[in-house]
Order: sequence, then C-alpha cells, then structure tokens
Amino acid sequence: MNDWVIAIIKVVFIWVWTLLVAVVMTWVERRGAAMIQDRLGPNRAGPFGLFQPLADGIKLFTKEDIIPANANRILFILGPILFSLPAFSAYAVVPFGDKIVIAGKEIILQVSDVNVGFLYVVALGSMAVYGVIVGGWASNNKFSILGGLRSTAQLISYEVPWGLALLAAALVYGTFSLREISIAQQGTFLGFLPNWGIFRQPLGFLLFIVAAYAEANRVPFDLPEAESEIVAGYHTEYGSMRLGLYLFGEYVNLCTLSALMVTLYFGSWHLPYLNMEAFLGPISYGIASFLVFFLKVSFFLWLFVWVRWTVPRFRYDQVMGLGWKSLIPLALANLFVTALAIQLTV
Amino acid sequence: MDLYFWIFAVMAVAAGLFTISSWEPLSSALGLLTVFIALSALYLHLHAPLVAIFQVTIYAGAILVLIVFVLMLLVSPGERMRAIQENASYRVMGGILGLSMLGLLAAGTKGVSDLICARSLPQGFGHPSGFGDMMFREYLLHFEVVSVLLLVALIGAIYLAKKNI
Repeated sequence: MNDWVIAIIKVVFIWVWTLLVAVVMTWVERRGAAMIQDRLGPNRAGPFGLFQPLADGIKLFTKEDIIPANANRILFILGPILFSLPAFSAYAVVPFGDKIVIAGKEIILQVSDVNVGFLYVVALGSMAVYGVIVGGWASNNKFSILGGLRSTAQLISYEVPWGLALLAAALVYGTFSLREISIAQQGTFLGFLPNWGIFRQPLGFLLFIVAAYAEANRVPFDLPEAESEIVAGYHTEYGSMRLGLYLFGEYVNLCTLSALMVTLYFGSWHLPYLNMEAFLGPISYGIASFLVFFLKVSFFLWLFVWVRWTVPRFRYDQVMGLGWKSLIPLALANLFVTALAIQLTV
Repeated sequence: MDLYFWIFAVMAVAAGLFTISSWEPLSSALGLLTVFIALSALYLHLHAPLVAIFQVTIYAGAILVLIVFVLMLLVSPGERMRAIQENASYRVMGGILGLSMLGLLAAGTKGVSDLICARSLPQGFGHPSGFGDMMFREYLLHFEVVSVLLLVALIGAIYLAKKNI
C-alpha cells in the first residue's frame, strides 16, 4: 500500500467516524436531556429510540427549503457551509490513536502530524464565526443580526483565554505537534499521578474547558441562539437541511473540542499506570489505543450534554465580564507562572 | 509552471478586485477573507507554515471579525457604503494611493525576488522553534519596539473611547 492510499483511508475513516458520532450525539443529547429532566425522551423509532436521528435527517431533508424574500440569497446559502467547513477540517491534525502496524508498515493514527499542529486548530476555530455572522446577516432579520453580533463578540473574547491556555500547554511540552504532546504524557508524574496534562496544567484545563464551551456556543454560553430573548439567534430564518448543517456543525465542533481536551490534558490514548504497548500485539494495540482515546472523548461529549441541561444561561454582560475580567487575567497569570516554573526547573 | 502558486495568486488577486468592487459591505469583507486565505496558502508554499497560520488566526480570525462587527452595528451600511463609493474625491484619492502603492510594489518586487531566489533554505526552515530563536535572539530589539508601539496604540484607543478617565 502506498502512502496516498493510507492517507485517503485515514481521511475517509475519520470523516465517517466524526459524522457518525455527530449523528449519535443528537440522540444522546435528547435522551440525556430527558434523563436529567426525569422524562423519557424519543423512544419510538427503533430500540431506545436509536433511529431517531435517522428520522430527523429524513424530516430535515424532505422539508421545504425556504429562503426569505428579502434575504441575500448567495450569503444565505453560504452561511451554513462556512459554519460546518472549519468544523470538519479541524480534525485533520488531532490524533485518534497511537499507531497500528499492518504487514510491517507503521501507520500513525492521525491524518497529518504537522509541526504547527494546534495552531492550525486555533486558526480554524477562529474561522467558525464567519458561518454565524454570514448566516445572521444574510437572513435580514433583527433577531438574526443580534445573534450574529453576540456570537462575534463572544468568540473574539473567548479566543484569547483559549489560545493562552493552549500556549501554556505548549510551553510545558515544548512542541506544537499534537502527536508529540500525546506521546509525552506516558508514565507517571511526581511518582504517583498519571503523567497527564491536567496535573501539570490544572488552571490551564479549567480555562480551556470554559473557553471551549463559549467557542462552541454551548450552554451556559449559548447567547447567540438564546431562544428566550432572540427566538433562535442567527439561524432564526433557517429551515430544512440548512438548519441541519448548522446543528450538525455544532456537534462536529464538540467532537473536535473534546478530542483536543483529551489530547492535551487527559493523556490522549494512554491508560493510567498501564503501558498497553508492552503486552498487546501491533494490530490490537492500534485498535485498543483508538478505543481508549474514544472512550475519553465520549466522556467529554457527555459532559457537554450534562452541563447543557444542568446550568442556566448567563446574562450577556456576565459573559463578557467573565471573559475579559476573569479568564484573560487568569490565563495570562497561568502563562507567566508556567513560563517561570519551566525557566527555574530546566 | 508552478500550478499551486498560480491557483492561489490568481485567487488572491481576483478576490482583491472583488473586495474593492462589491457594493455589499459584507461581501467585500468575505472577499478580503478569501484574499487572506489565499495569501496564507502562498505562505505555506514558501515553507512558512507558522506565518500562514498567523495570517489566518490574526488577520482573518481577529482583525476582519472586528471589521465585520463594526459593519453589523452600522445602520443600513449598504447605502452609506454606496455614498462613500460614489464620492468623486474619495475615488480620485483612492486611485492615486492605489497606483502609487502598485508602483512601489513593482519596484520592490524585482529586488526582493533576486534576493530570495539566490538563497538556499537553511536546515529546519520554517519550524516554529527556529522562528522563535530568531525572533528572541537576533531581532529582540525590534520585537520589543513593536510591543511598545502596540501598547501606545492600546492606550490611545482607551483615551479615545473614554472621555473622562
């Protein structure tokens, strides 16, 4: 097998996998919400209502596709595409396992291991806002524009602590490559803790997860689509599959953010106190590392759902205040302390 | 012929022309976004991935987003934009400025291209660590001067925004 074929297989695999996870996530979200609110949720289509996403998909596809008369047609169509495109491309540098050896050939379970790894994720993360702005603007609706405006301000504010938290992690590991960061998290830290990023960067992780919720427009930061104030925010005018793309892009985003959290702070594919590579065969090790990685990712995906149905929404000035007055100073302090600690210990 | 270069160079120029000729302010902004992305693709081609990433993160992800933010706050920006675009003196001034910049660029391009083509790339060129080494060893003074300049701009912005400090 030559490298091109392997690369294409990896791309297709991770693409289909992410899509599948996003589809299942819509079901998890609804069932999870029902569980937390002590009701049943969708349970009619298939066992446990598992075919509900399929039914939703068919519904969205067969609905009438409406573009408002006074909307800007081209930008209206472009909006959802601009939103989901960066979400899909960001996964290219995030690993989904260690490596698998097939017929003597070592295959790294990552689409591409570039030395500017997570800066690429940051860059694409900052692109996602255009989908929201363009959609909100093109709809020619006050609620949509308000949603777009809120989203712009929110994303700009939370990108700063997000990037600073990431930078502190990069300082600890001395690299931007996500694969190298993953490999560096093997073994133990201080003799008894697993050597995971969270123990080296506890504050960094906290900042990262708060900013990640804001970046993904999730509760408690879902001000851009706060239905009690501005109907549905930037996607008020959207229906059928265009709305589907927005919702879908959000779940793909969650997937990437969860994978990033696992890679940077939760030991990637490593199990604590256990070196899987030592006693597993080359192929089973590859599969096991993928499963361990995905298990951790699914926990964070569940956490997104859990938080959404537990925590109430912030007020808008609280969101801005938290971003600029607490998170950014904390992130700067975290960066400074990390740099100082590295300078003193190296 | 370098196909990669031509694809993105043509894309950048076409998007640039679209940016200055479009009547819709948001379309213009998206045109500018395309210019930034095409430029960052060209930086990648020049073995400078870090510069490419910064181009996208800072210009497309932060500066342009702020411009769009302002656009959304304007009342009927389309009409205002049209008034500005149709103003004859603005047009003449913009034309003169644009043409003189073009001349400057054309004069500089030849010299720069001679300089770059004559150089061979050192080992590990474009790697983030090499970039950092260079910035904080050889060009530390320049870096500090720029940071002071940015601080001045920051203080100036606060002074302008807040009437009574």
